[in-house]
Amino acid sequence: MKMKDSVAIVTGGGNGIGEAVAKYFVRNGAKVAVVDIAQANIDRVVKEIKAMGGEAIGVQANVSNEADTAKFIKATLDAFGKLNIVVACAGIIRDGTMLSLDKETGKVSKKMGLDKWQPVIDINLTGTFLTLRDGAEAMVNGGWEGLLVTISSVNKAGQVGQLNYSSTKVADALMPKIIVGEFQMRGIRNIRCVGIAPGYAATPMLTGMNQEALKGLLRDVHIGRLVQPEEIASLIGHCVENGAINATTLEITGGLCYEHGIAK
Amino acid sequence: MTIFPYNDKEYTVRQSGYDICRLMPDGSCAFVGVNLFQGMTAAEAEAKAKALVKSINPVGVKVVGPDVTRPNMIGGLKIVGPDVTRSNFVYWDKDSVSFPKNS
Repeated sequence: MKMKDSVAIVTGGGNGIGEAVAKYFVRNGAKVAVVDIAQANIDRVVKEIKAMGGEAIGVQANVSNEADTAKFIKATLDAFGKLNIVVACAGIIRDGTMLSLDKETGKVSKKMGLDKWQPVIDINLTGTFLTLRDGAEAMVNGGWEGLLVTISSVNKAGQVGQLNYSSTKVADALMPKIIVGEFQMRGIRNIRCVGIAPGYAATPMLTGMNQEALKGLLRDVHIGRLVQPEEIASLIGHCVENGAINATTLEITGGLCYEHGIAK
Repeated sequence: MTIFPYNDKEYTVRQSGYDICRLMPDGSCAFVGVNLFQGMTAAEAEAKAKALVKSINPVGVKVVGPDVTRPNMIGGLKIVGPDVTRSNFVYWDKDSVSFPKNS
């Protein structure tokens, strides 16, 4: 599928990886709907896309809400008349361990609450499901060639302190196989689905963390630096244009290794 | 440039591509969409811009029902709070500009 003149929806398009993806698409001739929960971020990104000479709309939405999902799909079709690419970048973290123990008694002093669990499930998993479901519905009904993209994470392998996040990211990694299997069963041939699993990326989530801790993380990365959001966007762009990439999740980590040098 | 009010906000459509702008209280512009509807006539673009603004900012109310899947138990009492993350949206046709304002 050619990127030029295609129409894309990018959720979480107001910052981080989503912003990089939206701008990459525009630079390569696509028209983009920038979807985000934060209106100020949308306004900034759409303004910057205008300066690039690109075509874009901005839609404020909560991806875990069905009415909002329907809204940004409709707005995209109203503005551009078709839909080809959906990238579900919207995601959050609420890190913490499932149990915390009292150092003196060894008994449980604190449990992860639903206030940390549920929002991560709602945005990262339910939001991805609704975005892909409604995007696919539009593509099937419109008969347009399409690509659905989930954003997983290298932490799909399981990261202590991220029981909520890792649980959603392993699901996001699995979705392409299930969705494409369903398309195969239903005779839907015009839509592919891939997942992207970034490693440590230079998003505000990581660049804002304790710099000593960040250095510690980077010791395990073969290229010795964070993966740039633009590099992740470029991989997604390659997935758009390479029609053989389908039903799989691709890692982009810079070579993340275990402590003693074995690549993960 | 066309200015149209919708739901207590003012929007403009500018023929330079066609940009749709939400006028901010300080007079600045927040872009709703940029470089849209190329090749269309001004009338077509304006009609599409108005439809797009309504799609992006639907008028209606969010209806928040009970969160039956996550009740809290206080002793033997089940407390069912509002399901704020899964509200439904009830649309209506007329925006607030259509209603007379109280002076």
